[in-house]
Amino acid sequence: MRNIGNIAVNVIKDSFRRKLFLFAFIFGVALLGISPVLPTFELGIRASFLRDISLSLSSIFGVILALILSVNQISQEMEKRTIYNVLSKPVSRLEYFLGKYFGILATIIVILLIMFAEVLVLIFVRIGVFTPILWQGFLAIFLECSIIASFSLTLSPLTSIPINVFSTILFYSLTHLKSGFLYEKLVEGIHGAARIFTWLIYYLIPNLENFNLSQEVGYGKGVSAPHMLRITGYAVLFACAFVIIGFLLFRRKDL
Amino acid sequence: MSETAVLLENIRKTYKSALSEKAAAVENISLSVGKGEIFGLLGPNGAGKTTTLKVVLGLVLPDEGSGSVLDFPLGSKAANSKTGFLPEQPYFYGFMTARRALDFYGKLFGLDASERESRSRSMLERTGLRYDSSLTLDKYSKGMLQRFGIAQALINDPELLILDEPSSGLDPVGQKEIRDLLLKLRDEGKTILLSSHQLSEVENVCSSVCIVSNGKVAREGKLHELLEIEDLIRIELKGGKEPSANLKKLVREIRATSDGIVAELRKDALLQVIDEASSLEMEIRSITPIRKTLEDLFMEAIKEAR
Repeated sequence: MRNIGNIAVNVIKDSFRRKLFLFAFIFGVALLGISPVLPTFELGIRASFLRDISLSLSSIFGVILALILSVNQISQEMEKRTIYNVLSKPVSRLEYFLGKYFGILATIIVILLIMFAEVLVLIFVRIGVFTPILWQGFLAIFLECSIIASFSLTLSPLTSIPINVFSTILFYSLTHLKSGFLYEKLVEGIHGAARIFTWLIYYLIPNLENFNLSQEVGYGKGVSAPHMLRITGYAVLFACAFVIIGFLLFRRKDL
Repeated sequence: MSETAVLLENIRKTYKSALSEKAAAVENISLSVGKGEIFGLLGPNGAGKTTTLKVVLGLVLPDEGSGSVLDFPLGSKAANSKTGFLPEQPYFYGFMTARRALDFYGKLFGLDASERESRSRSMLERTGLRYDSSLTLDKYSKGMLQRFGIAQALINDPELLILDEPSSGLDPVGQKEIRDLLLKLRDEGKTILLSSHQLSEVENVCSSVCIVSNGKVAREGKLHELLEIEDLIRIELKGGKEPSANLKKLVREIRATSDGIVAELRKDALLQVIDEASSLEMEIRSITPIRKTLEDLFMEAIKEAR
């Protein structure tokens, strides 16, 4: 299992080479660009507004980052045939798949941490308020990214990059829609195949709205520890499910 | 422990797509590579050579059949830990320098840091890349990548080396260096399974070959046996009297040389020919089995398989 670490480290190094850490820099620039145009409310409202907008922006950046990191992680190695030089060595496909996944997660963690620090500094400099409660929002973003990355990585050995991007965006949209639109449809009492389809989507795919804490954290209150534990468990459950499905599909894939 | 390094038995592999099932890439491939030999896998493009090598390494899972590598199951970690592999037209992580890439591949074999360092240095020296080791691999030429590919295949000091077109992209000097390296590795006791289009390379270094065509084995065996034309030998005679009618009757073909004759005959007529030559006071200069070239054998096998 030591090779999981070797492969994960290689993913992080490759992310450096692809200059993905510039993401944090671009995020900082975007944040600086937005903050002067924010309306001048009273201090409390300005703090909430800044926290809210920072988390929303972080969430968008996080999701894009997860997509970029995982969408071609295995397919590109298959296409370039660099995978042969790894899997012809004493590296099992499970080690390879998990190494890729953990490498993606580690890269996301590092970039989100930089973004977190940028937001803290910006809010402090702009309005003199220190808001460490934002860690909850960033953890929730990371958990959401871990599910998106696991979904996209699962598709990576099986589909082309455009199909994977399209599917992941569709997945992201559906998983955000389900708490609102799909729930209303189920309550409305639709029937037949439409109900079965809606029911399947509603219960078998995760609800990524669970990771949207911008309101709670935006107001500065945050959420309770049990709530954080609950959403962490929820993310682990779905990420594990996708990783297991991904590995089972990759296990017998001809290279 | 068996004396067989690689054993494949009735391997069949068909690549399936979502819409259709293509023809079998390999069908009933069986071969046996002895320990310490250089075994050549030959065949035209699309014959199934690369698929066969991938099956050995576990990169492709066969639909049917079984096999072993160094007495371990095909593609197992135990088998791969004692194997080195050079893929056809190898690609590596372009952002790594040769030294870093060798270090990474060494880690995958669980080598410790000092071992990785010393083996990397030795492999770069052996493949003539010592002075280019700090260049990133995306700056390497095709020939340099091929040599780096061999270096990474040797990083774990493997018992078995699997090389897919090892001379591809190399100039004649590079090809000669690879040939010499293969022979040296064989002398060190390594088993080498190589696929190649270069018949001269195979003829020079391989002791056994398997010719595949349309996914099936067309010929397999010891190279010297396959190249020998059954029952025919050549005898070279010098001096003496003119060839008698009896001598001419005993041989298949006869032609004069500047100081004697060369005759081709069946093995069972050899003793009679020697008696007749001595009665004609001829001196025997040489007796050699008549051999085909590998190209003859290759073309014959491919033609038959079609």
